[in-house]
Amino acid sequence: MSELSTLARPYAEAVFKRALESKSAFEWSNTLAFLSVVMQDEEMTAIIANPKVGQEQMTQILLDICQEQLDKEGTNFLKILIENDRLMLAPQISELYESFKAEHEGYVEVDVISAFALTKEEQKKFATMLEKKLDKKVHITTSIDKSLIGGFLAKAGDKVIDGSIKGQLQQLAKKL
Amino acid sequence: MQLNPSEISDLIKKKIENFDVNVEAHTEGTVVSVADGIVRVHGLSEAMQGEMLEFPESTYGMALNLERDSVGVVMLGAYQHISEGDTVKCTGKILEVPVGDELLGRVVDGLGNPIDAKGDLGTKQASPVEKIAPGVIARKSVDQPVQLGLKSIDAMIPVGRGQRELIIGDRQTGKTAIAVDAIINQKGTGIKCIYVAIGQKRSSIANVVRKLEEHDALSHTIIVSASASESAALQFIAPYTGCSMGEFFRDKGEDALIIYDDLTKQAWAYRQMSLLLRRPPGREAYPGDVFYIHSRLLERASRINAEEVEKLTKGKVKGKTGSLTALPIIETQGGDVSAFVPTNVISITDGQIFLESDLFNSGIRPAVNAGLSVSRVGGAAQTKIIKKLGGGIRLDLAQYRELAAFAQFASDLDESTRKQIERGQRVTELMKQDQYSPMSVAEMGVSLHAANEGFLDNLEVSKVRDFETALQAYMKSEYADLMKKINKTGDYSDEIKNGIQKGIEAFIKTSSW
Repeated sequence: MSELSTLARPYAEAVFKRALESKSAFEWSNTLAFLSVVMQDEEMTAIIANPKVGQEQMTQILLDICQEQLDKEGTNFLKILIENDRLMLAPQISELYESFKAEHEGYVEVDVISAFALTKEEQKKFATMLEKKLDKKVHITTSIDKSLIGGFLAKAGDKVIDGSIKGQLQQLAKKL
Repeated sequence: MQLNPSEISDLIKKKIENFDVNVEAHTEGTVVSVADGIVRVHGLSEAMQGEMLEFPESTYGMALNLERDSVGVVMLGAYQHISEGDTVKCTGKILEVPVGDELLGRVVDGLGNPIDAKGDLGTKQASPVEKIAPGVIARKSVDQPVQLGLKSIDAMIPVGRGQRELIIGDRQTGKTAIAVDAIINQKGTGIKCIYVAIGQKRSSIANVVRKLEEHDALSHTIIVSASASESAALQFIAPYTGCSMGEFFRDKGEDALIIYDDLTKQAWAYRQMSLLLRRPPGREAYPGDVFYIHSRLLERASRINAEEVEKLTKGKVKGKTGSLTALPIIETQGGDVSAFVPTNVISITDGQIFLESDLFNSGIRPAVNAGLSVSRVGGAAQTKIIKKLGGGIRLDLAQYRELAAFAQFASDLDESTRKQIERGQRVTELMKQDQYSPMSVAEMGVSLHAANEGFLDNLEVSKVRDFETALQAYMKSEYADLMKKINKTGDYSDEIKNGIQKGIEAFIKTSSW
C-alpha cells in the first residue's frame, strides 16, 4: 500500500497541477473517481492482469468503456497509464489527488465516528470545535459504531482524537 | 512481594480514583506487512526517529526507518499476534527504561523489566535509552584507578575511572572471566557494576549470576540480559539500556563500571535489523552506521567534573566527580583483529587487553598478551606503588619475549642473557592468577616487589606460585598493619618499601613453601 502511493504520487501531482492551470479541478476529480471505480471492477482487474491483452487492445477496451465520461485530457491521461502499465494505481491517484485538492482549498476531511447518531446541531458543533482545533475548515462525514459504547472518535488523515468510552477504558486498563 | 486480596482491591480502587479521563489525540497508522520482526506501517506522518509505537495488546515497537509513506518498525518482543491492517498508535515518547539504586542486585531484560522473580523493581525514575554523551566542558581527566584485582592487568594495563578499555580475544580465552573478576573486586569500593549480556546462552548468564552471588558481588551489580533467543532489537538496545542505568550513578557523583559482553553480537543484531529494513549493506554486510552505534555508546562512558554533578543533581551533591568506566568485550575470529568491528572498537576505546588462545592453552591465565595490550590513559590513574613496581615487570617481560624467541636457536648463552630469560620465566609464572581470586593493592605490591628485588630468581619456576601463595598468607598474618596501610594510601615510601623487604626476608627464613 505504501509503495503504491509512492508510485502514484507523481501522477497525482501532475494531474493536480494541470487541473489548477486549466481551472478544471472539479472535472478532474470526477474523472479520477470514475477511473478508480472502473479499475476496481472485478472483471476489469482480471483483464488488466491478463498478459495476453496487449497495450493496443487494452486502449481499445478502455476507450470503449470510458469514451463518454472522459474529455480529451482525461483520455490522454488514461493512455499514459496504459503505456506505463500503471492502471492499477488509479484508486491511489484519485485518493492522493483529493488530498492535494483539500490541502489547496484549505479544508480537511474528518470522519466522526460515534456510538449514537448525531443530530444536525451536534454535527455543527463538532465542525466548529474541530475547525478550532485543526485550524482548517472541515468537511465532516459521520458514521456509527456501537462498539465505542459512548462518546466519539474523530479521524483526520492519520490524526485521531479519541473521546470514546472504549478508548478511555483502554487507557484505564493500561494504567492498572 | 506478597499482597492479600483486600489490599489489591484497595490499590485498584485508588488507581481508578486517581485516573483522570482525558481526550487523547494521537497519530495512527495501519500495518502493511509483518516479516522477521520488522513491521511496515502506513501513515504515522508525525512519528519520530526512535519513537515507541503502540501495537494491539500493549506490544511495542521502535520506529527506525521514516520514509515518505511508511515507517519501518522493529518489534520489541513477541509479534506473532500482529497482522496486516492492525492500527498502530504514536506514543510521543522515546524508549525509556527504569533507573535507580533499586536495580542493584537485580536481573533485568533489555527494556528494564525484571526477570529474576524477585518482584517489582520499585524504581521511581526512568531515563531514555539514547542520550548524548557529556560535552567537553563537563568532563574531567581520568586520575583515579579501577582495580580489576588481576596482577597482570593492574600492573601493566591499568584502567582508570571513566576509561574505556576493550577486552578482545578469540572465543574461550577468558574474556568474561576477567569481567567477572573485575566485578567481584569492586566489592566494598563503592563502584557499582553493570553487566550487560548480549546474545549469550541463558545458561552462561545464569552461571555469571550464580558466581556473583557466591562471591557476594551481586548486591552492587545490575545484570542486563538480552540472551541469544531474544529478538535482534532487544539485543541491539540492551547496551544502551545498561549505559543509561550506569549514567544514573555517574550523574549523581558516584562511580560505576559497565561491561558489555559482547559488542560483536550487538553489531550482528544491528546488521540483521538493518538488512531486514533494507538499508544498504557495506563492508562485511554491516550497515554504514555500524561505527556510530559503538562510538555513541562508548562516548557515554566518561568522568564528569564536580560542577557538572552539582548541576545534574540540582545542587544536592557538591564537590564529587562521577564516572562511568566501560569494559567492552569483542570476540575475534581466529585472532583476526583487523576485521571490521574489532578495528572500529579498538579505535574508539582508550586501549585494549588482548587475550590469546595460545597463551591460554599453555596455561598462562589470564591469557594477556602484554606486548599488544595497552592502556592509553590508565597510567595517570595508577596507585603509586603499582606504578613503580609495574614498570619493572613490564620491562622484564618485554626483554624476555625478545630474547626467548632468539634463544631457541642458541645453546650457549652469556650470563646476562640467561639471567634475563630466567627472570622472564619467573615473572610470567607470577602473572598467572586463579579465577575468582582478585588481589588487593597490597597483595599485588608484595608479589611485584618480590619479583623486582630478585627473590624469585633462586626458585624453580614450578615453585613460584606456591612461593607466592605462602608469602601472601605469611604477610597477611604477620604484617597485617603494613598491608592495611598500603591498601589505604597506595604509597611506595621508603618505610613501606623497607617493610615489605623485611617481611619477605623473614618469610624466606621460614622456607615454608
